[in-house]
Amino acid sequence: MSLWRQLRYGWRGLVDRARREQDVADEVAQYFEEAEAECSARGLSPDEAKKAVRRELGSISAARERASEYGWENGVKVVIDDLRFSARQLWKHPAFTVTAVLTLALGIGANAAIFTVVERVLLAPLPYPNAARLAVLETHWDETGKTIPRVTGPDAADVREQASTLEAVSLYRGGSLGVQLKDHAAYTVVTIADANFARVFGLKPVAGRLYTDADAKHVALVSERFARDNFGASQAAVGQVMRVEGEPLEIAGVLGEPFDFPGGTQVWVASPMAPESKSRTAFNYKAVALLRSEASFRSAQAELRAISGRLRMSYAKENRSKEMVVQPLKEALTGDSRPTLLLLWASAGLILLIACVNVMHLELVRSMERQRELAIRRALGSSRWRVMQPVFFESMLVAILGGAAGVLLAFPTVRVLVAMAPEELPRMHEIHLNFRVLGFALGLSVITAVLSAILPAMHAAKVNPAEALKSDSSRGMTRKGAGIFRGGLVVAEVAATFVLAVGAGLLLRTMMTLDATDMGYDTRQMLVVDADAPAQGEADARRAVRQFNDLFGQLGQLPGVTQVAGVMGLPTGIYGSNGYYETRGGAPVDADHPAWSNFSVASPGYFGTMGIPLKRGRDFGLEDTQTSEMVAVISESVARQSFGDRDPVGKQIRCGLDSDKWMTVVGVVGDVRQDSPAAKPGAALYMPMAQHPLYANQIHVVLRTEVKPLTLRNAVDERIARVDPLIARRYTTMDAMVDKSTSTERFRAALISSFAGVGLLLAMLGVYGTVAYSVAQRRFEFGVRMTFGAERGAILVSVLGHATRMAGMGIVIGLGLSVALARPVESMLVGVKPVDPVSLALVSALLLITALGAAWGPGWSATRVSPMAALRGE
Amino acid sequence: MTAGNTDVIQGTLDMLILKTLSLRPLHGFGIARRVEQITDGVFKVNPGSLLTALQRLERAGLLNSEWRQTENSRKAKFYSLTAAGRKQLRAETTEWKRRAGAIARLLETEG
Repeated sequence: MSLWRQLRYGWRGLVDRARREQDVADEVAQYFEEAEAECSARGLSPDEAKKAVRRELGSISAARERASEYGWENGVKVVIDDLRFSARQLWKHPAFTVTAVLTLALGIGANAAIFTVVERVLLAPLPYPNAARLAVLETHWDETGKTIPRVTGPDAADVREQASTLEAVSLYRGGSLGVQLKDHAAYTVVTIADANFARVFGLKPVAGRLYTDADAKHVALVSERFARDNFGASQAAVGQVMRVEGEPLEIAGVLGEPFDFPGGTQVWVASPMAPESKSRTAFNYKAVALLRSEASFRSAQAELRAISGRLRMSYAKENRSKEMVVQPLKEALTGDSRPTLLLLWASAGLILLIACVNVMHLELVRSMERQRELAIRRALGSSRWRVMQPVFFESMLVAILGGAAGVLLAFPTVRVLVAMAPEELPRMHEIHLNFRVLGFALGLSVITAVLSAILPAMHAAKVNPAEALKSDSSRGMTRKGAGIFRGGLVVAEVAATFVLAVGAGLLLRTMMTLDATDMGYDTRQMLVVDADAPAQGEADARRAVRQFNDLFGQLGQLPGVTQVAGVMGLPTGIYGSNGYYETRGGAPVDADHPAWSNFSVASPGYFGTMGIPLKRGRDFGLEDTQTSEMVAVISESVARQSFGDRDPVGKQIRCGLDSDKWMTVVGVVGDVRQDSPAAKPGAALYMPMAQHPLYANQIHVVLRTEVKPLTLRNAVDERIARVDPLIARRYTTMDAMVDKSTSTERFRAALISSFAGVGLLLAMLGVYGTVAYSVAQRRFEFGVRMTFGAERGAILVSVLGHATRMAGMGIVIGLGLSVALARPVESMLVGVKPVDPVSLALVSALLLITALGAAWGPGWSATRVSPMAALRGE
Repeated sequence: MTAGNTDVIQGTLDMLILKTLSLRPLHGFGIARRVEQITDGVFKVNPGSLLTALQRLERAGLLNSEWRQTENSRKAKFYSLTAAGRKQLRAETTEWKRRAGAIARLLETEG
């Protein structure tokens, strides 16, 4: 109760300071009046009474002072007064305040935003039940050290049966497919998964039911979004029928948001538990597994190794050196984005470092300005802490303001980041600023505060009053050490900026290389239609091919269209296949390293439409039909690797795409870069659509246009709908597809460049601040020199020389750092070496120019110093 | 300080205040005057210390205060004992007597 009283009274004193002071004053006055009255009663005159009382009780103000000192709130009051004082000081130095707060805001904003992304993508657990026990199964070859995130059906089935550490294993496959509803079709991410899928992820439907093994091939689950978009509500979707790859499927249930694994899946189709593919060399499936709660990844891996060993014994040929490995799902999902995010994080860290250095530097200059004031206060007897306190509070305020501004800045930055992020960056839709990140930002700003406060405060408090009063800073008699330290800060800043700018330079040059890369075909003026025609069985597929052929003819008639073709296996496209092939009459085959190639299925006119040059032989034609001789066209790489100097035309080739029949090579075309401009031009094997109908109903239709490609969209769409409204279709351009294939590189380059820009700005501020300060300090010196006849030019040179020295040292250190740090970014570069003389030279020049530019203003003002004014002093 | 006047012994001021107020509520000067009277001027109370002590005791819940008129119709802050204050006074009195008795006995045997 008394504690409560303490708090209450103290609080009252704090809130109503005037009243408490009045209270004490009244009480003391009354005390003294009573005392005087008593004296008067003894017969003293009022004047004598006053003197007597004063003699006896001391002065009235001393008593008042003493009485009002009591209470914990007085300590608080001192702090509040100091804070007020600091705030007033900041208000009086707007240039300093704004620069420091903005600098911190930039540093903290960038870090909070990047950390938000890092936290969500790399650190936060996956939003699934049992997230820590979710795993993916992958195939690894000891001999080559290669690992692919896929498994074969029979291998996975054996593992599922034998592994006791895995509670459930689910096989799935899928991708972007056309889903045919009653009267229209839509491209949707479809996953074809067995009944274990729901067990692995612990799924519960929000409507309807899950599927079982008995439902295989007849039943599907859809996402809440899909149900809403196509049927209005989850309940309404249950029982509806749709078609995927020609199969009619009944919707059994709806999965609640936000579940959309893998990769934004909207439709999950039931597949049988026993995999349909019986080949141990066809990696048709991806596999997810749930570890038993008592198992660990280590024990699961040990067991998989044993099982893989047994499979190697039983299937010596197919399973040679093959091993199934288990990896946490989170790592599998986010592993690829890790280097990019860590690079961004490191860059953001550099920005923060630069920001801290800048703020520290600003604080230091501030504290030097008030060195005299502090020295006087020390000389008058203030304790070291009392002197340090306002300095400390001032930097704390700056840091808090900066932190708050930084967090405000982080919100839009995160939104921009998410919007900019490449599609490959996982989990981006989960991202939003959260409390952990706010905590991180707050922690950062407090650390920054402590860092930038403690140094100047210690500096201020250590000052020996006599020394400080002697070294009159405005007379150019500052102590040497402080100048060196400040110069060092600027050098550090320049070095950090250098590293960032070199990184940006390398990534930008990579981007330039990629943009200028010859893909092997002409990307300009090309409309691309993803088209998925419903087909069930070969007869349907053949009908689809005929339909497409009709369509190509009709589309070719459209004004603005010059050429039309269709292809399964378009470079950077969603469809494609690849694998081993054999030749007859070619170079001898190395059994250990069978020849490998991308497979494409194309219509006649594809090469012409794409601008892929025909080097020998002929293109496919209408004469290549289901019943005529099987033919193929190969790319130059295939010709080189399998036929050497011999003419491949007329030779035999076969692959495992859909049949093992031999095909006659009828032509050779140029190589293309299949996946992105970063890929090497590689082997490609083309087969005619008419002869491979099962791979010809999900294709890209490519249209070479004379006008802007997307302007033809409506006309094209109308033609396709007239042929068959159930063909799912989606439009883009070849340029856009190629751009998208380099979006990760673009993302990295854009972010690092903006970081480098911010760094450059901050470094410029740093150089400007230091030079401007030193010019202000040396006004007196300049005045003296000019009085004795120094040229203005000489003075300008001495100022610019100062800046050049600092920048030069920073550049040298930055050079060393960039060379040392080059390795980690090597894998992100294309067409440029990690130690790139051009980037290094450009960045050096840029930083030097920036430093000189920043020093020019103060240097110019130094030459304008009037000797008389400077000598007259303050 | 003139001879015969002693500053209040450390720690006894609280007890003296509580004792003085146990008879009736008084204002600050009244308490000081009273302490001097009772102790025949042995103890002199400094107004600064007294007012600080009063605030401390009030916040500890031993006193209540209230502004009202004095006999010569001036406004003054009157302090009165709370129940907790009374209890504290009894406890301190007992404790003081015990100690004073012990010291007295010690001095007697010495003498």
